Amino acid sequence: MRFQEVSIRKISENMWEIPQSGGMRVPGLVFASEAMMGEIVRDESVRQVMNVAHLPGILRYSIGMPDIHWGYGFPIGGVAAMDLDEGVVSPGGVGYDINCGVRLLRSDLTAAALKPSLPQLLAALHREIPSGVGSTGFVRLSARDEESVLLDGSRWAASAGFGSGDDVEFTESGGKYPGADPDAVSAVAKKRGRDQLGTLGSGNHFLEIDEVAEIFDEKTAEAYGLFHGQAVVQIHSGSRGLGYQVCDDYLAGMADYMRRKRIELPDRQLACAHIRSPEGEKYISALAAAANFAFANRQLLAHQARETFLKELKMGPRDLGMRLVYDCGHNNAKFENHDVDGRSRKVLVHRKGATRAFPAGHADIPSAYRNVGQPVFIPGDMGHASYVLAGEPGAMRLSFGSTCHGAGRKMSRTQAKASVRGRSIAQDMEKRGVLVACASWKTLAEEIPEAYKDVTGVVNVVHDAGIARKVVRLKPVAVVKG
Amino acid sequence: MKSSGFRLLPHTADIRVEVRGKGLPELYAAGVEALFSLMVDRRRVRAAAERSFTVHANDPEERLFLILRKALLLFSPDGFLVRAAHATIKDTEVEIKVAGEQFDRSRHAVGREIKAVTAHGMTVRRVPWGFVARFIVDV
Repeated sequence: MRFQEVSIRKISENMWEIPQSGGMRVPGLVFASEAMMGEIVRDESVRQVMNVAHLPGILRYSIGMPDIHWGYGFPIGGVAAMDLDEGVVSPGGVGYDINCGVRLLRSDLTAAALKPSLPQLLAALHREIPSGVGSTGFVRLSARDEESVLLDGSRWAASAGFGSGDDVEFTESGGKYPGADPDAVSAVAKKRGRDQLGTLGSGNHFLEIDEVAEIFDEKTAEAYGLFHGQAVVQIHSGSRGLGYQVCDDYLAGMADYMRRKRIELPDRQLACAHIRSPEGEKYISALAAAANFAFANRQLLAHQARETFLKELKMGPRDLGMRLVYDCGHNNAKFENHDVDGRSRKVLVHRKGATRAFPAGHADIPSAYRNVGQPVFIPGDMGHASYVLAGEPGAMRLSFGSTCHGAGRKMSRTQAKASVRGRSIAQDMEKRGVLVACASWKTLAEEIPEAYKDVTGVVNVVHDAGIARKVVRLKPVAVVKG
Repeated sequence: MKSSGFRLLPHTADIRVEVRGKGLPELYAAGVEALFSLMVDRRRVRAAAERSFTVHANDPEERLFLILRKALLLFSPDGFLVRAAHATIKDTEVEIKVAGEQFDRSRHAVGREIKAVTAHGMTVRRVPWGFVARFIVDV
């Protein structure tokens, strides 16, 4: 397989190596089927995997997941682990939407039992869950409250009455990144975020009611509280304007750092600073603050979803049984222990459009899941499927404990809109058995199922590569989009 | 395409914009207007109030990047929508004046959230009749 002048080597059924060349410090490694690789070499994402390999302190491989596509500096679906002493941290390796991620709520209801109430429930969710551009959250935050959110994430939300200890326990990192510094977040970023806590956002963010349609791993599904035919809720959202502005602020600052330190990289969007520099440490503490904002955001959205279910279905919490399965991010940079050259050491792992996937036995996952592995959520497009996976030991060997995050787009927004002219998206979706409520039908056209790659293919690659195994397949039944 | 204005170019994940202007001031103004056209139907935005800001840079691309970043902040966090923009250049300083109004949910259907303006692939090129610029916004 070739990408321009580069010969890419197939090293196993779903793994491809891009040889180290020129200024690359390590080779590239892409997880993909042969058919997917044929598509991947047609955009710039292979070039971006190679560019990331130039970063000082990068360890072992610059990695691409099977949902890889063209991003800024780092490809979306990119993973890079860095040595703490020599290595750099790059905001482009996290993304603008810091700690964007997915949480899954399970219930004691079946999708079949829910069906008669679905239109009214969906309308209520659309009303009660702030979504779309310009929406504001139902919580009025003072500046002091906002600082608490940045410091404590989900824990703030639980202490403010918007969740429970279980919600905190079943959130990645206990819903709080340590080392957050609200003073490292600019006043503009705080202002952008203050009214947006508890809002879904727009674009590919969503709240979706799904049915557990297929179970691949009964034991793990049971450990996660999932059963066949069950109604569950996925929430996909992130750090809103606060996180976007943190990334923007630090990208600009790091460009100056690179000029001063004479760090030359093939792409200016790879702007970075040494992890142990004041600039690097400040970004990491701002990233932690923004990540905590995202955790709190998803916690408030989940709270609002639960309250809406209870009210519309006239049920008590015990009968509804809506509990958090897990919440995990797919845009972050985290300090973790990994085996490098036979020795366990602390490294910084960038995941941009990639999800942590720790296996059974790992100390950093809830004790209830330690026998089966960390849940991982892979949302597909709104018409087909999403998946729940579990982290596998292969992830620790091959990808610094990481796996994919979604389906990835294959069609531009203008192409998607052109393809729906003359069609009713609502009717198309209803034929698929999916009810949709959205803030803007015009921008919903950009999110049609055909605009996305096949998530089943993506998930099969990571399953077959041994980095995350399939647990259940979810089928969408109703979706709220911004 | 007219001598000023914008069009969208193919980009899978986000939005790639091309703007034109007969001079650099017209190009920068077109960039600001294009940014807001991505969010809202500008015909529905009244020129009820004015805002202004300045940027300083030597390089035309750096200027465009700084202008678009500051323009985005007019909406998020300040909720101001732009109907029309005007740019004036003096040495390394560019002053942008905009006319518009505060976002009103009952009248403005803001469909698309722009997370940020990126520097990725940002270009400003001189062409025989003026200037063309391209930039990508993260949505």
